[in-house]
Amino acid sequence: MTIERRTILKSLAAAPAALAMPAYLRQASAQGGTLDIAAVYSLSGTFANVGTLLNSGSKWAIEKYDTVLGKKLNYVLIDDRGDAGEAVRRVQEVMTQRGIRHILGCTNSAIALAVQKEVYARGGIYVQMAGADESTGKDCNKSNFRWPVASYSAVNATVRPLIEKFPDAKKWYTITGQYVFGDSLLTNVKDVLKEKGLQHVGNSYHSLSDREYSGYIATALAAQPDVLAICNFGNQTLDVVRQAISYGMKRNTKILAVWSTGLDQFQALGPENCDGIYFGCNFWHGVDSPGGRVVAEVVKAKTGDVPNYLHACGYAVAQVLLEGIKKAGTDDVPAVIKALEGMTYEGPTGTETVRPEDHQVIKDYYLMLGKAKSAMKDKNDFADVVAATKAFLPPEKTGCKMS
Amino acid sequence: MASSTPQAWRFPDLTTAIVVVILAVMPFLVPTTLASQVAIFATATLSVTLLLGSVGLLSFGQGLYLGFGAYLTGLLLRDAGLGLLPTLVLATTAGTVLAGLLGILMVRRQGVYFVMLTLAFAQMGYFAMLSLKDITGGENGLTDLPRTMSLAGLPIGSPLSFYLLTAGAFLLAFLAVQRLNASPFGSVLTAIRENEGRSEAMGYDVKRYKIAAVAIAGGIAGLAGGLHAAFLGFVPPNDIELEISQRILVMAIIGGVGSPAGALVGSVFYTLVSEALSELWARWMALIALLLIAIVLYLPGGLWSIGRRLAERFGGRSADA
Repeated sequence: MTIERRTILKSLAAAPAALAMPAYLRQASAQGGTLDIAAVYSLSGTFANVGTLLNSGSKWAIEKYDTVLGKKLNYVLIDDRGDAGEAVRRVQEVMTQRGIRHILGCTNSAIALAVQKEVYARGGIYVQMAGADESTGKDCNKSNFRWPVASYSAVNATVRPLIEKFPDAKKWYTITGQYVFGDSLLTNVKDVLKEKGLQHVGNSYHSLSDREYSGYIATALAAQPDVLAICNFGNQTLDVVRQAISYGMKRNTKILAVWSTGLDQFQALGPENCDGIYFGCNFWHGVDSPGGRVVAEVVKAKTGDVPNYLHACGYAVAQVLLEGIKKAGTDDVPAVIKALEGMTYEGPTGTETVRPEDHQVIKDYYLMLGKAKSAMKDKNDFADVVAATKAFLPPEKTGCKMS
Repeated sequence: MASSTPQAWRFPDLTTAIVVVILAVMPFLVPTTLASQVAIFATATLSVTLLLGSVGLLSFGQGLYLGFGAYLTGLLLRDAGLGLLPTLVLATTAGTVLAGLLGILMVRRQGVYFVMLTLAFAQMGYFAMLSLKDITGGENGLTDLPRTMSLAGLPIGSPLSFYLLTAGAFLLAFLAVQRLNASPFGSVLTAIRENEGRSEAMGYDVKRYKIAAVAIAGGIAGLAGGLHAAFLGFVPPNDIELEISQRILVMAIIGGVGSPAGALVGSVFYTLVSEALSELWARWMALIALLLIAIVLYLPGGLWSIGRRLAERFGGRSADA
């Protein structure tokens, strides 16, 4: 009877711990000869659809590398549930309680900005994919590296080629998401237009929660612009494109979505909505490069299909970190940081370089033109690359003071 | 929903002892940072429990005071160089003052209109945060809070020290609410909850009592916000979003509003279950919603009332509500 009671009490005591203890702590077992890499993604909550694909990319990269410097790689997933506070707490947890120092990933900029400070404060290294300029700008730090381009690059790699292609397109209208990233895109668009002596005939702000844009489109139509530049991200980009097309805007106006995620968004839009629309994107599976072929093989093996941007991005941040460790010859954080600074490697978009001054990966950003269904060579051939540009602010203008 | 009796508001009592034991064992059972989070959200939930349980006011806006306390703490720690203790005191005071001021307007209406006012003010707080992005950091949150802090000469930096701080703060808030409930003031609040019209007819200034309750609850939420900011070294924008108000309300209902201890039970349960469920299914909130429905339908006193029911059944007396 006594034994039974003890057993019950033990079970009761252990139950909440087992329930509460996240998978990454439960995974803690024999750690000899392994290297833990923690990845921060939103697998539940608002951004789960994005986080899930990014997580797949990173996980597949870890599986592809399998070992580094003879150590077996152990992928430790942290689900932040789309909450920056939760992300910080969980990073604290793995860094203080498991001693993990190598972190990667994020699902949005707010999470990345918070985590990059946390990782820096605790002496780790962090490779991520935030879009916010501040990440490698005024909020840069020694621990933090970013793979995709920031808003400056996205604008300059899309707006400038478009201006060159259509020198008669003098009047530009913008529809902008009223949040930091949207504002950042807008500011950069305005700067380019001002420099080129073009007219910014108006801007409409929409909120993060907007789904209906007919009012903004009507205002834009009334301004009779030559180009409509869409400065937002995610599903809102798709909705603005769809509604602009349904209002007949495509007939007389070039439409540019400055920031898109490429293939997955093209699939969502369908060829009828992609045709004749310009998109900016960080990755395109059709660009042939040694690094791109590796990503394509890995994704093909997993999904039977070509990689999209989110897969490639998740893969790329893990690749940057692991190549840094290989180059350093140790997983010691300061040595890896030093090795990464200036490192050149074959990434998903071709030859990529980590800029030492702000830890931004220098890579191509693509201006793409959607094509008609009849012109598609296969089911994923939605667009052609019009321009591939490495357009980055000079390091001294990023505002980064490396600490 | 609440089922208190004069006996239920004894202070301190068995409930106090149970709460102390839970707080003492928690860091041994779950990761320390998770335990800190439980304590912080238990403090925030306490503000809902006080309002709903003691005076019968349903607030969908406690996240406003939590967020206000968090941002104020962040700014005071980062920009004013204030110490942790005075900062937390100021965050609590600011939450009290803000809630008191808004309370003057809100208590002019009852029932669903009161609820809608709490909701509206919470939304305004969120958009104010976005509009004042130069101060609050907008959707990127408020960053660069100091990493090393001390409280009465003791360094606060390690996960355990933060747990001791957050658990201690919860315990203080919990004891204060217990004491308040056991006081004549608490009896009036109970009377208002049970029959507002009759309380007014007896000569009590019902509005003033409500404003006082709203202000105290705001102060507790402000304290929780301050603790959250100090704990994370960062103020996430989620702290002032409507979702946080909903979350702490759900925690309160799951735990039970019949006793301030329900706040701790609700926070423990919600935090641990969501942690476990989120690993199983991306839409784990749907399961929480099912749980909430089940509790509202079949266990309106919340999880805490299970203990009371068991005590009544086997002990022959109430172990407090």
